[in-house]
Amino acid sequence: MVAAAAGPGRVREAGARRRLTGMLGTVGMGAAAVLAAVAAVRGWHGTVPWDGGLGLGLDYATSTSPVAALFAVLVPAVAAPVLAYAAAHEDARGLPRLVALLSLSVAAMEVIAGASGLLALMLGWELIGACSAALVAHGWRRRPASRAGVAVFLTTRTGDLGLFVAAMAAFGGAGSLSYAALGDLRGTALQLVAGGLLVAAAAKSAQVPFAPWLFSAMEGPVSVSTLLHAATMVASGAFLLIRLHPILARVPWFGPAALAVGLATALSAGIVGVLQPHAKRLLAGSTSAQYGLMFAAVGAGYPVVAALHLVTHALAKAPLFLVSGLGEAWSGSYGLREMKMGRALPLVAGASAVVAAAIGGVPPLGAAWTKEQVVAAAGRAGPWIASIAALAGGLSAAYMARFQFQAFARGPEAPAGRRPRPAERWALYVLVAASASLGLLWAAGLHDRAARLLGGGLAVSRPWEVAASLGLVAVGLAVGLAVARLRPELGESGAAEALAAWLGLPALARLAVVRPVRGLSSVLAEVDDRVVDGGVRVSAAIARGLSDLGRRVAEVVADGVPEGLARLTGRLGARTRRLQSGLAHEYYRLMIVGLALFLLLLFALFPGG
Amino acid sequence: MLSAVLVVPLVAAAVLVAARRLPDRAVRAFATVAAAVPLALLVVAWIRFQPAGPRFQLVEDLSWIPSLGVGWRLGVDGIALAVATMSALVFAAAAAYPVDTKGRARQYYAWLLFLEGVSLGVFLALDLLLFYVFFDLGLVGMFFLIGRWGHGDARRAAIKFFLYTLAGSLTMLLAILALYLASDPHTFDMRVLIARQPLAGTGLAAGLALLGLLFGLGIKTPVVPFHTWLPPAHVDAPGPASAILAGVLLKMGTYGLIRIPYSMMRATFQRWSFWLGVVGLVSVLYGALVALAQRNLKRRIAYTSVNHMGYVVLGIAAAAGLPGGGGAARRLALTGATVEMVAHGLITGSLFLIAGSFWTRGREYDLDAYGGLGGRAPVLTAATTLAAFASLGLPGLAGFVAEIQIFLGTFGVYPWLAGLALLGVLITAALFLLMLRDLFFGDLPARWSDFPDLSASERTVLGVLLGLVVLIGLYPRFLLAVIDAGSSFLVGGP
Repeated sequence: MVAAAAGPGRVREAGARRRLTGMLGTVGMGAAAVLAAVAAVRGWHGTVPWDGGLGLGLDYATSTSPVAALFAVLVPAVAAPVLAYAAAHEDARGLPRLVALLSLSVAAMEVIAGASGLLALMLGWELIGACSAALVAHGWRRRPASRAGVAVFLTTRTGDLGLFVAAMAAFGGAGSLSYAALGDLRGTALQLVAGGLLVAAAAKSAQVPFAPWLFSAMEGPVSVSTLLHAATMVASGAFLLIRLHPILARVPWFGPAALAVGLATALSAGIVGVLQPHAKRLLAGSTSAQYGLMFAAVGAGYPVVAALHLVTHALAKAPLFLVSGLGEAWSGSYGLREMKMGRALPLVAGASAVVAAAIGGVPPLGAAWTKEQVVAAAGRAGPWIASIAALAGGLSAAYMARFQFQAFARGPEAPAGRRPRPAERWALYVLVAASASLGLLWAAGLHDRAARLLGGGLAVSRPWEVAASLGLVAVGLAVGLAVARLRPELGESGAAEALAAWLGLPALARLAVVRPVRGLSSVLAEVDDRVVDGGVRVSAAIARGLSDLGRRVAEVVADGVPEGLARLTGRLGARTRRLQSGLAHEYYRLMIVGLALFLLLLFALFPGG
Repeated sequence: MLSAVLVVPLVAAAVLVAARRLPDRAVRAFATVAAAVPLALLVVAWIRFQPAGPRFQLVEDLSWIPSLGVGWRLGVDGIALAVATMSALVFAAAAAYPVDTKGRARQYYAWLLFLEGVSLGVFLALDLLLFYVFFDLGLVGMFFLIGRWGHGDARRAAIKFFLYTLAGSLTMLLAILALYLASDPHTFDMRVLIARQPLAGTGLAAGLALLGLLFGLGIKTPVVPFHTWLPPAHVDAPGPASAILAGVLLKMGTYGLIRIPYSMMRATFQRWSFWLGVVGLVSVLYGALVALAQRNLKRRIAYTSVNHMGYVVLGIAAAAGLPGGGGAARRLALTGATVEMVAHGLITGSLFLIAGSFWTRGREYDLDAYGGLGGRAPVLTAATTLAAFASLGLPGLAGFVAEIQIFLGTFGVYPWLAGLALLGVLITAALFLLMLRDLFFGDLPARWSDFPDLSASERTVLGVLLGLVVLIGLYPRFLLAVIDAGSSFLVGGP
């Protein structure tokens, strides 16, 4: 429980001084990681009870969920070097706020990791959404940044409705929101829970059709993107499916649905990635695609494979974003064509090559092994499924090759911007070293051990799957190199540009959702002013007319009661100025007239009195 | 002790009317202290309240007009205590918050204290006639606060507010008299009326009485389509009066729903509860959608009140549905509805106070006129952001505690209504984020280049209100225990 609180807060006092801010952030994250490890070993858990069976429960014990314990350590561990980089790299203006919000988002992730029920999960889940939106809108003076922040929050919150549905169904079916109680669910309630969680996870992990929010998120500073993609918001979706797989797997259609969402995203995002000439967007496409592979692994019934791919991806994707930030500092642009860092920054080029190869699926790197596992897992669902996963792997190789060869091209008119600062470089090297060390996963003894620790099985690869998959990686590398060398401007104009903008999905969302809602809202506002309130005005006018009529009738009938009624309605309708002046006595006169009428009616209704 | 809760602010109001020589600063200080006394007394009441004890506690019962069965009867159950304490806090905050009193500070604060006394009377009354008298006197207090200290077309807005809600309260009076006449012997004692259910089995009469009550309380709440008095009243009212209108007066509608039709005519209320739920759902969605289109800061917040009060109505309706079953879900819905009343009071009260701060600084509510204040007024930005996120239901803040309980409870009774109401969560998120963007992001227009940040007194008041919003969001147990004591009696059974 303490681990969750360890991150934020410390940085607040940091002031504007970069080094202190960075140190506080990094040390805070390190402490959070250590605390999370201690919490896992010691089995820390606790609940803040609410009422009626509700409560905010956290549980970090490895015995409860080894994957949760691993995730709780991984997030701050990745965040530590990223915060050091952020403090050295980002604008001094607003830096303490940036680092504080990044720490807060890590704390939100710790809540998600340790949640032992849907209520605590929702707390972390929406907090990470709000933090991420605030981080994306960090450059709030610029219109696109604030617009992107809104888009990020609203898209992911749309998915969060799935979590609300899941919570409602869980409470309806089991009378509790704790994960333990979800095991008792069956029938419609269980299906609603599974469907709701899948939608919520797909939105967070940038799967189709929610994927484009990740492109909007690129308006944020590079350190924000790094953490968002590698360890926080985007990771939370895949983590949730891994963590709750035992419950979700009891729904027959869940596996195929997760497979379909994951592979559709992996393929389409892969294509988007290859077509992207913008470094961060290319990496964003890659992120959607890689999480798609994790969804596919969960769908195929291998959550541990997905968990391992989550780890290898986190440690490789984080340094790639750091590299793109260095490229921007060097060239003044995220355009891959402008970077040309090859000759000037050979060490950075080498470090980048290692992690680009990892995501690209080149052995003997760790991410390559976990990707082969995903292909093998998909193979259990059918040879075609395995082929699609392998094809997605080929696309990964293609976009990573394009990234590496274009960013580190050796052009004649190379720019000469700012060179990396020491903290930026060391953050990069630390993450790359960690990523490279994961190559050990190829060793049979080690990966079996890792799977045992995580409490799940690995998929057994068939020779043809490995051969096809590695062959597609080779083809992908060649395609990527060809694009980098022969068509470096691919995606900057024409049809490729349109496709690179997430296959037109954002335009579709605007057309199909945003515009109709805003249109409906302004129509209703108009109706509200003209018709609903108009109805009140019209009835006032009718009352005034009736009152005139009543007065004339009253003269004939010469009866006090209709006279009173007419006067009453006349007052209501006319909004006479007299009411302002002699308010008190008017008020009581109205009351008395009304009272008399009501009493009359009552005595009519209750003759006995 | 509860009598003192009402009497102290009323006496203080009278003192202010009499004390002609008091300087404005002293008037405000005196009013703030006097407005805080009921809060302190209610906190003591809170501590003395036994959640496991009888339904109504701290009861005071003085004979008044015995021949008519009228008595000075005060007392609280968990729901009344929670709503009354929140109301007292909102009044204290409104009194302490700086406002332009147009040179008539004494009168302004006298009306404010008068309004506090009668408003708390509504929540503490255990006598139906007393309830009605306080309910209507509240109208008078608010009428003068809007009409005399408002801006824009304040008189028109005040009269519209007054006549509209008065029309509603007259139909309510009819129903109250029906309840009175049907009881034998005739009495206005709520406890007796709750025990006897006087209109049970009277068919048409019960239906008409319910209709009268729903009409009157629905206007006050307000539910769509009886809500059109609310936006002009808010827009033209001074900020603290808006905070009271939203935080306290609207609660009289939903509190009345729980106290009168829900408690005293259970069978009839149960029969119509689904349709009441539909009205709540319409308010949720319609209020949110119309709010999204507003370009006036206060109108936008005002319409979110329609949305939030829609959740309360939905929760109350669900709590009355499913006779004889779903006890846990119905109880959760009722507790959630009450928490929403408290949360909405604190959150929307804060938002209207903030809107008042915008008015005192810029004389402008148009969202298009603002922008870029994030750098100029960081504390104002932080407070508004926190309040807006609380209002859109971010977990960890009070609004979520209320909404999740309403959703979970309503789903057990009317799953489709709960599912559709979820869409409201999304629209409110959109409208608040866009509001924050318009106010604080982008470029700072030149005319606001010396826009002052929140003053010390504004910070203190908002700090207390929003601090409670966070506390309730993370550790609502202290509140839920008290409210649940009330809802368990109402829903019946564990």
